Amino acid sequence: MRKEVYDRLMMMQSSRRNVLKGAAAVGALAVGSSGIVGALTRPASAQDNLRAQILQIPGIGKGQPTDADFQKVGELCLAATKANVTEGEFAGVELTFMGLNNQNLHNVLFRGFLKPWEAYTGAKINWIDLAQADYNARLQQSIATGTVDFDILQMGAPFEGDVCGKGLTSEMPDWVKTQIDMQDVVSYLQPPVGTWDGKQYRITVDGDAHNFNYRTDVFSDAALAEAWKADAGDKAGLAEWGVPKTWQQVQATTKFLKGKQVGGQDVYGYLDAPKAWGGFGFYFLGSRASAYAKHPDDKAWLFDSDTMKPRINNPAWVRAIQDVIDALPSEPPDQINADPNQTAFQQFLAGTGSMVVWWGDVGSNVKTNDSSVVGDVTGFSILPGSDDVYNSKTSQWDKLPSGPNYAPNCAYIGWGIYVMARVDSDEKKKKAAWSAAAHLGGKDLSLWCAAYPSGFQPYRNSHFDIPEWVAAGYDEAFISSYLKSEADSYNHPNAAIEPRIPGIFQYYSVAEDELAKTFAGQGTAQEGADRIASAWEKITDQIGRENQIKLYKASLGM
Amino acid sequence: MTLEVVTDEISTARRNAGRLVIAAGSLLLVAAFAMQILYKSGTTTLGYETWRVVLYAYVAWGIALGIGQVLMRGEAGWRALFILPAVLFTVAMVIFPTLFGFYIAMTDWNLSSFSGRKFNGLANLWQMLADPYYRNALLNMVFYVLAVLVEYIVAFGLALLLNAQIRARKFFRVVFLLPLMLSPVAVSWMIGKSLMEYRFGPAAKLARWLGWDTPAFFATPEIARLSIMLLDAWTFIPFMMIMLLAGLQALPKDVMEAAHVDGATPWQAFWGVTFPLMLPVSITAVILRIIFKLKLADIVINVTSGGPGGATDTVTSFIFREYRDRSNVGYGTMLAMVYLILIIVFITLLLKFVSRWTRDVN
Repeated sequence: MRKEVYDRLMMMQSSRRNVLKGAAAVGALAVGSSGIVGALTRPASAQDNLRAQILQIPGIGKGQPTDADFQKVGELCLAATKANVTEGEFAGVELTFMGLNNQNLHNVLFRGFLKPWEAYTGAKINWIDLAQADYNARLQQSIATGTVDFDILQMGAPFEGDVCGKGLTSEMPDWVKTQIDMQDVVSYLQPPVGTWDGKQYRITVDGDAHNFNYRTDVFSDAALAEAWKADAGDKAGLAEWGVPKTWQQVQATTKFLKGKQVGGQDVYGYLDAPKAWGGFGFYFLGSRASAYAKHPDDKAWLFDSDTMKPRINNPAWVRAIQDVIDALPSEPPDQINADPNQTAFQQFLAGTGSMVVWWGDVGSNVKTNDSSVVGDVTGFSILPGSDDVYNSKTSQWDKLPSGPNYAPNCAYIGWGIYVMARVDSDEKKKKAAWSAAAHLGGKDLSLWCAAYPSGFQPYRNSHFDIPEWVAAGYDEAFISSYLKSEADSYNHPNAAIEPRIPGIFQYYSVAEDELAKTFAGQGTAQEGADRIASAWEKITDQIGRENQIKLYKASLGM
Repeated sequence: MTLEVVTDEISTARRNAGRLVIAAGSLLLVAAFAMQILYKSGTTTLGYETWRVVLYAYVAWGIALGIGQVLMRGEAGWRALFILPAVLFTVAMVIFPTLFGFYIAMTDWNLSSFSGRKFNGLANLWQMLADPYYRNALLNMVFYVLAVLVEYIVAFGLALLLNAQIRARKFFRVVFLLPLMLSPVAVSWMIGKSLMEYRFGPAAKLARWLGWDTPAFFATPEIARLSIMLLDAWTFIPFMMIMLLAGLQALPKDVMEAAHVDGATPWQAFWGVTFPLMLPVSITAVILRIIFKLKLADIVINVTSGGPGGATDTVTSFIFREYRDRSNVGYGTMLAMVYLILIIVFITLLLKFVSRWTRDVN
């Protein structure tokens, strides 16, 4: 027997073993999960081998991937491109790609992934890299001044109103839909997300939801459990020391943990992100508010859908703002100057704080980021719930018969790759642009992005095949917890979905300014919320109320 | 010295030819401009998508103006040619954009708005007058500008030290200049976000060692403002210092020696001789520094985003947020234009006051 045939057979057996080994865990998870962390047991194939192979680049726990790794992954995932494009077909084509370079991720990875694509197709890509905080301004200026100088765009769904709504994007050809296997994308990211007037524009490369990241060592610490038992303060229903399930419990544990130590280190509770972050910081108040403000009987939670009257100053949001004000004295002394980047990457990953809300990046970095010290002591769940939820229609707080209200905040709805309409006049260029975008949104490549620091979270049903992750080197309990928190957020029946309306970041940015004042003690939570509401009304009038109402309703599927 | 006046004999025909060339150039420019306005307003279908044609017409008009000058005025026209390109360039790159900026400031222009830019007169100005963020930022600027006096004292002290006969003087001059060579963005990260970081920053550790239990440099309004002032001062004190040092080195030695011979103490010599003689340099240094200070933004944006609660916000960082994060171009431009006028008025009054004061001192 030839050695390579033998190796191949061994590898296939190994894959089968992994699949079978994982099936038990998957089955167990499926009991408590609402859906997609389901049993994906199927015969091993060449595709499985490829997926297993790329997940070993460079290997979990072997340091952060490098550009050489990105290129290797890009090369190995070229088969789908080769099926639709002949070698050298795009010779002479030049494309410009605009995207982010946050944390040295996003575009930095795309460059590596697309290098083998460039070598194969003959096309050349020029890059426009933007910091997260510069993104909105650059995009808006390009649109408003008619100077769209890029062919491919990395963009979040909230901007679709600004871009697709103005006819600036190219409609996705059918061959791309087949190449990227769009049916595999989780249901909450299926149309209407990515579409405008019924036309498909977006290749999804990311799934976004805020999940709840906590320290397992802190919430299983025996000394803290004893102290909790002895503590006479409000426990918000958390009889035994453990992971908080509601925001009321998050508040209680945060206040309790002030001044406590674990392993000789100061331990803090929840980490708020009060500092402005180019509008993106508002999502973190949204995550605190969603369980209070998103009623299961009402799709809207930011505005009244018929009038665009802001709900930011209703009792639910005001309670969330008040929670931050109440918690800040129990958080690290400089917390008021912390933005979300700091809470996740400089605090939580570095061992400060025991609870943080973030996108899935905390989960994908906690084991693979060189600066993380909490890889073995991090657990995950969907966002905490609330014992009661505000009903905007009756202006009452409701207690649901089913128990606490949960409302995962599907903040930002994930990044996508869009091709700009300016390539439509040149068929070769158009095909090249869509081929590059499809390569980045490929099924196998996306698995690698979900497993390593990339800036992107799982977003396909096929990403929730736990044995694949375990085979890659992830601890089974850890990855099950992480993926379950993501899947349960995406599939939650009461998920709080972001409105895809033009200028949404203007609303967020102005709110950040007012919140910064409120958190610094300038006025009450209600006064701050009223000021935000007033500023939001002005923005709505400035952009055009009727149009905003129409788009807001459409984005909520109403 | 006055230039010799050259009087050429210029024929009427030549003069008329010059007038004709200028008129033709002007006509072309006006026609191009009118065509584009009519096209962009949708009145006619004749025109171009971009305004580039007006730029070309402007260049052609500039050339026609130059030729016309020579034809009409001879030698004097040739002389005008030396200054004309600079004038036309300034008009195109400074004066026109400023005037256009005033127009933008009087529009309701939100980049996300489907209806585009709309003229709204002085509405942005009235909004600005009622805007607590702008007022807060202006008040902060008063504090920031007052800090220049402290910076001046420190800079003067350092300049005196470096002017003295100390060991390794040249080395220290270079070392003291280093902060000025750093970008304020680098200063923000290296010092504001690293050295002064609450958990691991060496400055925080030193503060703890000195007895401050919670050395959070950007958590309370007063300390945050002071920290920003220190960061900015650290960067720009060398700028004042180097100007003052140059002034000190240019002082006439005989006056100092005369004071010494007359038995003045160093203190008396400083107040009686050095300081008054240094006044013109000092004023220049302080005014230039104030102009720099009024533009303070980068450190604030990077380190505090104007917080906590607006305590460190500057006018420029607020305009930055209004313009960049909220795409509110019309209102943001109004804020910038009003700030420009305020700066011009403030600096003019300051210069007038200072010149009167130095006249009185002298």
